Amino acid sequence: MPKGMFVDTSICTGCKACQVACKEWNALPHEPGHFRFDPVEKRPVAVNFTGDSYDNTGALGATDWRHVRFIEQFSEDRSLGRWLFSSDSCKHCNDAGCLNACPTGAIVRTDLGNVFIRQEVCIGCKYCIPSCPYGVISLSEVTGTVHKCTLCNDRIHNGLGTACAKACPTGSISYGEVAELRSAADKRLAQLKGLGYGEANIYGYKEAGGLNVFYLFLDRPQVYGQLEAVVVPQKRLPVSSAVTIAGALALGGAALVSFRERGSMEKDEEVEK
Amino acid sequence: MSPEVHVPGWEWYYVAMYFFIGGVSAGAYFIGTLAELFGGERHREISRTGFYIAFPLILLTPPLLIADLGRPARFWHLLFHAKSGFPYINLQSPLSVGSWALLLFGGMAFLSFLDNLVSEGKLQSAPFAKAYSRIPRKWYAVVGSIAGFFVAGYTGVILNVTARPFWAATDPLVGALFVASGASTGAAAIYLVMTWRKQLADPGLPGFDLFDRLAKLLELFLAVAMVVLAGKYAAPLMKGFTAVMFWGGAVLLGTLLPLVAGWYVTRTAESRIPAERLAAVLAILVLVGGALLRISMVHAGQVQ
Repeated sequence: MPKGMFVDTSICTGCKACQVACKEWNALPHEPGHFRFDPVEKRPVAVNFTGDSYDNTGALGATDWRHVRFIEQFSEDRSLGRWLFSSDSCKHCNDAGCLNACPTGAIVRTDLGNVFIRQEVCIGCKYCIPSCPYGVISLSEVTGTVHKCTLCNDRIHNGLGTACAKACPTGSISYGEVAELRSAADKRLAQLKGLGYGEANIYGYKEAGGLNVFYLFLDRPQVYGQLEAVVVPQKRLPVSSAVTIAGALALGGAALVSFRERGSMEKDEEVEK
Repeated sequence: MSPEVHVPGWEWYYVAMYFFIGGVSAGAYFIGTLAELFGGERHREISRTGFYIAFPLILLTPPLLIADLGRPARFWHLLFHAKSGFPYINLQSPLSVGSWALLLFGGMAFLSFLDNLVSEGKLQSAPFAKAYSRIPRKWYAVVGSIAGFFVAGYTGVILNVTARPFWAATDPLVGALFVASGASTGAAAIYLVMTWRKQLADPGLPGFDLFDRLAKLLELFLAVAMVVLAGKYAAPLMKGFTAVMFWGGAVLLGTLLPLVAGWYVTRTAESRIPAERLAAVLAILVLVGGALLRISMVHAGQVQ
């Protein structure tokens, strides 16, 4: 039975407890400092700020397996405002581009449905990195291998939930059986629609074969930085291969024409002589 | 705001150079095979030259590939499963299938290289030379050529089958483009060696010239079609140094100019065979253009 997470962004407060819990449990290095002493100015200067609301990592990466997005929506005269939050991570796709692309079998799906990178097998070829449509996987220069969220592989295989879900103070992130999470998500969506949130939607039922980590958004997925039309890259492999083979056949035909025609033409000339 | 698909960080001096050298080697090999299969004895020197070029060049490529890995010592995981030790292939991953194709191609290129040495009498004293010459040359040349087409083309499929905007938008043409470029650069390498060995009066050259021109026409067509197909996503190929490399280097100097110059020379000169120096210069232009094609394509997909 696949396990996963349901992220109800409507009750997320952007506290980043999930980011911290993830770093702690998985022993990921901290972010670079936000201030640096400038020897010329002789005072601390601000560095490493994204300038994008309260976002402190900007993206998912080898040491950032959770990324809380902050979306500020204001009307032109700023009389109306809304602040949306969304805690993002690897979605553990059922049709996972990274897993499909891995040439060594380092990326595997476990019995609980999570996509897991076996660090001792990964060779650092980096092909999974552009193969993930969500920009999740990144290379670590320290280990020479790629890293991403494991769905707390060690915890969930010992009966615990994920660290981020455990730390979430509002229940925005919940961990469990995907089927149960889906029915809870449907109920919550119906409730929100009833409260007048017409744009509310669930993201992750159809995308990439279904996402084991899926979301409830109050606005279009694009607003939260998620793809509205996901194409798992390997879906294009048959056509891409076929066109390449056609190119090779065209060259074979060119060779047949060039080498044979010229040969026989000149033979004819010799015969005429 | 849309998610930024991460860049792999493939270095041009490793990955793009592998794409290029692998393409030249594979191109020289399949030209050698096709010339022998379709052209017979008249084209024997061309196929011999192709087989001489292919093996030493493909030997250069594994170090390039391995050097780009984050964990180079684990390169063998590409062929053997790290846990079970059994041979491993992932049919959905062009990188996995390509590793096996490269191994197969290298093996066949080695056999053809040996065969050249044996048939030229350079390996006569070796005890296996006699037994060796009984293996039908054409069999492994055909197997090697199929692997060679794969080696030249899968590098383009690798780029196309990703989620990076430029590489995804040029799908499905880059594989075929790289095969055509492999043919044209492989032909240039054969030309260069034959010029150097003063074989420009070879009876096989007229047919070879025609093949070379057809390959360049296909390459030009695919390069332009790829840019048209990509539309706004082709932007990284349209600005700065990448544009100079692609349009100036790969398309103009590496394909169009040699095509026109080669055609002009064969039309105007008394002999159908171009002068030695010009032939060498054009061949070098084609090779540099082929390298710039790979570098610009690998780079354009990784521009943030």
